[in-house]
Amino acid sequence: MGIFRDHSIREDSLIYFAGIDLGSTMTKVVIVDGDGKTLSALMGPTGPEHRRLANKVMADALLRADLTFDDVSYVVATGYGRINVPFADRQITELTCHAKGIASLFPGVRTAIDIGGQDAKGLKIRNDKLVDFVMNDRCAAGTGRFLDVLVGTLGLRIEELGEISLKATQKLPISSVCTVFAQMEIMACLSQGTPLPDIVAGLHDAIANRVVKMIKKLKIEPEVVFTGGVAKNIGVVNALQEHLGLKVSVPAEPLLTGALGAALMGKELTLKAIAEGKPIHEKERRLVESTFFHTENH
Amino acid sequence: MALIMGLDIGSGTSKGVIVRDGKPIAYHLLPSGVDYRAVAQRLREEILAMAGLSAADIADTIATGQGADNVAFSGHQASDILCCARGVISVFPSVRTIIDVQRTFTQVIRINATGHVINFVINEKCATGSGCFLDIISHVLQIDLKDAGPLSLGSDNPVVFTTGCAVFGESEAISRVSEGASREDILAGVHQALASKISTLVDRVGLEMDCAMSGGGALNVGLVQSVEKKLGFKLLAPEQPQFINAIGAAMMAENGVTAGNSLSNSGSGKIN
Repeated sequence: MGIFRDHSIREDSLIYFAGIDLGSTMTKVVIVDGDGKTLSALMGPTGPEHRRLANKVMADALLRADLTFDDVSYVVATGYGRINVPFADRQITELTCHAKGIASLFPGVRTAIDIGGQDAKGLKIRNDKLVDFVMNDRCAAGTGRFLDVLVGTLGLRIEELGEISLKATQKLPISSVCTVFAQMEIMACLSQGTPLPDIVAGLHDAIANRVVKMIKKLKIEPEVVFTGGVAKNIGVVNALQEHLGLKVSVPAEPLLTGALGAALMGKELTLKAIAEGKPIHEKERRLVESTFFHTENH
Repeated sequence: MALIMGLDIGSGTSKGVIVRDGKPIAYHLLPSGVDYRAVAQRLREEILAMAGLSAADIADTIATGQGADNVAFSGHQASDILCCARGVISVFPSVRTIIDVQRTFTQVIRINATGHVINFVINEKCATGSGCFLDIISHVLQIDLKDAGPLSLGSDNPVVFTTGCAVFGESEAISRVSEGASREDILAGVHQALASKISTLVDRVGLEMDCAMSGGGALNVGLVQSVEKKLGFKLLAPEQPQFINAIGAAMMAENGVTAGNSLSNSGSGKIN
């Protein structure tokens, strides 16, 4: 990190871009340099106060990269709460940003599956660009929410699910699609003594089945990349591979691809503006002290 | 003077009735819990005690509902569609369309002039169309389910739910509460959401008057009014709507059903 502490070098030759992905469950920030290299990546749970949290995660990410906000040339906000990022230069949809971020990590990607806290998406990607997508944000089944609700019923933590499911000897078939009905079904199975790993494996199978049914509309081609919080669950990764009959790649940080893509979009927009001799920012930058330093961030 | 017991072992509550000459003489309701077999046993013992009878006095027992398979002592089982139809006609012979709102299912049943089921649709894939949704929201609002109906009548600005999912609806209700929406407005919004689901089921099965509402949902005055408003007419409502299927089950035996007769569904039903 030494080089970034040298202000003369930074001011002369280095520029930085930030992407912030305000998701339904987690807020993510990625800061990249002029080469697109990630300098800092952070996330925190999205609470009810989007704006304050956006500020806080951004401040922490800057601190970690040893930068100040003025060092950042461009900020792109994405995700479901992107409108609540007062300091962003631009808002771009999460689909575009995800495609960008995933393609930067897996240049051969053709199909991306993103399962987040309250939605699931399938993306068809060609040459770094999103060409088609399918999405479910209407029903909790087939989203991370399904697991969130049921993990409570099972008395487990969400992080444990993947490991536990690996111990399953068979998968409990879950006949209900609806999360609420699946919950009742599972309560009945628990009382009948069905082993926990079998139930968890059944849940993973149900979610994979539902998502694969949805994304089949896109004509799935390899390489398939799986992102979003649920991609951290090895059980769902395995279940997806089984249902797809294809290998599924998962980035080291599957939650950060949206924010990474947003930062890279910022870089692209900036370089384009410079090449065309246009001003980088369409509007005055909004990061004023009131949005940042006056929160109780210390 | 044969005495018949009808048991409706539902996913939420289990209902029992004892019927003599087509008239219920005892009613009993228990929460089902997770052990259908145990609740059926307890229901039988308690209703017999309430009526001052012994098991030997009962000529026949017919079970229906989700847990009917678990009623070890029952003579026969009958589908809840048929029991519901039979139960409602015993109260309102003129009824041709029945809206049965239960905890997990909502079903709309069409019957003909001779009381036969000719069509039905069930909403069983999604909790938004059933009493479940109301259960979940009542829990969020920390009210008793039986207060949901009367409370909702005080609403002047029902919340419009943007989601068709009960789980997302729960989050939406929590957000609305934090934004200052009243309990009355949220409950009225839930009733409207349910009413619009119910009305699509009615459209699919094809409406013929008269129309009645039964099941536990019919106890909710707010839901009944929302459905009436959506459909544009008054609904007939039996006095003990949650016992209708149990009464219907008992009627099945009264009408000469024996072990040899089939009690399976007739009609061209669709399960949604």
